[in-house]
Amino acid sequence: MNLHSLAVLADPNVQLLFLRGTLTTLELFFASAIAAYALGALLVVIRMSGWLPSAAVGAFVEYHRNVPSIVQIFVWYFGVPQILPQSWHTYANAHLSAFFFAVVALSLNAAAYISEDLRSGIRAVPTGQMEAARALGMSYLKAMRWVVVSQAVRGAAPALVNQALGLLKTTSLALAIGVKELMYVARQLDGETYATFPSYLTPTLIYLACTLTLMAIGSRVQQSTRFTR
Amino acid sequence: MTEILSQYGLLLLVGQFPDGPIGGLALTLLMSVAALLLAFPVAVAVAIARTSPIPAIRRAAAFYVTAVRGIPLLLIIFWAFFVLPLVTGVTSSPEITVICALVVYEGAYLGEAIRAALEALPKGQTDASRSLGMSYTATLRKVILPQALFNCLPSMMNQFVLIVKNTSLAYIIGAQEVTFSANSINAQLLTRPFEVYFILAAIYFILCYSLSRLSRVVENRVLRKRSRVTNQPITETPSLARVPS
Amino acid sequence: MKRVALVILGLSFSCSTAWSDQLADIKSRGVLTCGVFGDLVPLGYQDPKTRSIVGLDVDVCAAIAEDLGVKLDLKTVSVDARIPSLETGRIDLMTASLAYTPVRAKQIDFSSAYMNVPVSVLVKKDSGIKSFADLAGKKVSANRGSTSEVFARQKLTNSEVVSFDNGPASYLALAQDKVQGMAMVKSAAVGFHNRSSGQTAFLDEALFWEHDCVGVKKGEPALLAAVNTSLDKLESSGRLQTIWDRWYGQSNEYQLPREKKVTPASEFE
Repeated sequence: MNLHSLAVLADPNVQLLFLRGTLTTLELFFASAIAAYALGALLVVIRMSGWLPSAAVGAFVEYHRNVPSIVQIFVWYFGVPQILPQSWHTYANAHLSAFFFAVVALSLNAAAYISEDLRSGIRAVPTGQMEAARALGMSYLKAMRWVVVSQAVRGAAPALVNQALGLLKTTSLALAIGVKELMYVARQLDGETYATFPSYLTPTLIYLACTLTLMAIGSRVQQSTRFTR
Repeated sequence: MTEILSQYGLLLLVGQFPDGPIGGLALTLLMSVAALLLAFPVAVAVAIARTSPIPAIRRAAAFYVTAVRGIPLLLIIFWAFFVLPLVTGVTSSPEITVICALVVYEGAYLGEAIRAALEALPKGQTDASRSLGMSYTATLRKVILPQALFNCLPSMMNQFVLIVKNTSLAYIIGAQEVTFSANSINAQLLTRPFEVYFILAAIYFILCYSLSRLSRVVENRVLRKRSRVTNQPITETPSLARVPS
Repeated sequence: MKRVALVILGLSFSCSTAWSDQLADIKSRGVLTCGVFGDLVPLGYQDPKTRSIVGLDVDVCAAIAEDLGVKLDLKTVSVDARIPSLETGRIDLMTASLAYTPVRAKQIDFSSAYMNVPVSVLVKKDSGIKSFADLAGKKVSANRGSTSEVFARQKLTNSEVVSFDNGPASYLALAQDKVQGMAMVKSAAVGFHNRSSGQTAFLDEALFWEHDCVGVKKGEPALLAAVNTSLDKLESSGRLQTIWDRWYGQSNEYQLPREKKVTPASEFE
C-alpha cells in the first residue's frame, strides 16, 4: 500500500464529492428519523386504541424486524412500483427519486423498532400511576399525556437514541439503489482512482464523527432522564 | 410465482451445489453459524475486558466497542475486503471476508450483551467466591460466566437473527448467498422483480421469525429457571433474593 | 535464536518472491485458477439447469488452460474484487469482462484483447431519445465499478450517471423509467435489449470501444507471453470464433456479429 494515494483527498473535486455525499447521508438520516419517530408514535397509539386489529400492527413490526433492511429497500424501490396501477406507476417513476424510496424503506423499518421501544416504555409504567391520576380527577387523555407518556418516553429515551444511531448507519445501504450518499461516493472514488485507502478512510471518519455525536447526545439524555422511582 | 420457485428454487436453496460451490440459503446459514461460533469467544473476551479490574484493558475494550458501534457494518465489510488485502497482502474469498467482518461486528454487540449479563449478577457472588479464596479467573470461570452465559442465551439468539439478516450484505461484494441468488434470478427473468424480492423477503422472514420465536421460548425457560433459583431463598432470606435483570 | 529464525524466514520469503514464476507454478500445480463473473449473462453466469458457471469468458479461459496443458479451476469474483484478487495471487488469470484502462494497466498487465465490443447506451424506444445530446438533463444507469460507469461520466457530462451493483439492477432502473438510458457494454446490454420485447433501442453512437483482455498479475512476463501465444493460436485455429458463435452468434438470442479479431495490447494502449 502506498500512502501517496492520500493525495487524492487534496483534490477540490474529491472534497466536493465527499461533502455532497455527507450532506445526502444527513438528509437521508433526518428525513427518515422525523418520519420514523412520528410513525412509531402513531403505531403505538393505533395499537393501544384498537383502531386496527393489534395483529395488523404486530405483523408490520414483525416484517420489518425479520427481513434484512437491504431487501426491504429493494422491495420498495424495484418491487412496489411494479404492482402499482399503471398511472401511479408512471407518476412514481417520473417524480419519485431513489432518495424518496430509501426514506420510505428506512423510516418504515425504524418506525417498527421505535414503536416497540415506546410500547415497552409504556408497559414499564406501573398501572397504579394511571389509576392514581384518574382518581385525582384527570381525564384519560390528560393522565396519559402528563403521567404515563412522559414517564414512558423518559424510560425509553436511551433505546430511542440507539434507534437513531442504527438508522444513521443503515442509511449506508441506500447505495444499492443509487442514492449518492457517503458509501456511494466512496465506491465511486475507489472505482475511478483506485485510491482505495483514502476512499474508505474518509467515510469512516465522517461516520464516526456523526455517530460519536449521537452517542454523546445519548449519554446526556440518559443522565438527564435518570429518575428514581 | 410458483414457476419461479419450481425453476429456481434449488438455486435459492443451495446455489450451484453439488456441481459447484455451495450458495443460496445454505451459504447464508453456514456463514451465520460460522460467524456466531467464531464471534462467541471474541465476545466473551470483550465482555470480560469491559468488566476487568485493570483500567487500561477496560479502556481498550471500550474503544473497540465504540468504534464498531459507530461504523456501518457495510463499511467494516469494505475495509476487510478492499483495504486489508492491500495492507496485509492476504486476501480471502468474499464469504470469509464477510464472516470476519461479522466476527468483528458481533464481537462488540454480543460482547455488550454478555457484559450486561455479567453486570446483572449480584455483586455478592463475586465477593463470596473471592472471600472463599478463589482467584479472579477461577471466580469468572466457575461462578460468574456459567450463570451469565446461561442468562444471556436469549440475547445470543437475538444476535443470531441479526447475523442472519446481516449476511445479506455479502451480496454487495459477490458472495453467492441467498440475496445474490435472488439477484441472479432477476438477471434471467428481468421483468419480475416484485415476485423475486417477495420470495426473498419471505425466505428471510420464515427463517428469522422462527428463530425469534424460538428465542422467546428459550427466554421463558431461562426466566423460569432463574425464578426457581431465586424463589428458594425468598422463603428464608427475602432480602438476598432480588436479582436485577 | 529467535532473531536467526526470523532472518531465515525473511530470506526464504524474499527468495520465494524474487524467484517465483507464476507460469512455472501453474504448470507444476497442474491447475490454472481463473476468475470469472457468476452473474453476467452470457460471459459468466450460473446455468439454472446445471447450476454450474458457464459463459464465453469461461470457455476462453478453459481453452487457454487446455492450450497450457493444465486443469481449469474457476472462481467467481465481484466487479471490485477483480484487481485485488489478481494482485494478491488468489487468481492466476482474470477473464471476467475485464476491459483495458490506463489506470488499471498501472496495477495489472493486460493480454491481447480477445473480445472487442462497443459500450452503447440503451434507451426506451418511445422516449424519443436518438443521440447523446438528447440525454442532457436525464439520468443514465451503469454498473458500479465498471468502465462503462467511468466513461459515461466522462462523456455524458450533461447527464446524471447513477450506478447500481449489477446489470439486472441497472436494467430494472431503465425498464421502470427511473433512468432514461443505460450505459453498458453492448455484448451484455444486447441480452436485456432482446428480452425487452421491442421496447428498447440502442443509440447509434458508441461511448467507446471496450477491449476485454485476460488480466495477469504485474511482473509475470512469462505468463503474459504464454497467454498471448495461446490467444493467437486460438484465433488462427478458429476456436475463438467458435466460442463467440456459441454465445453471441446467429444460433442464439444475441445475434451479435464479431466485429474485431484478437487485437494486440499495443493497439489500444
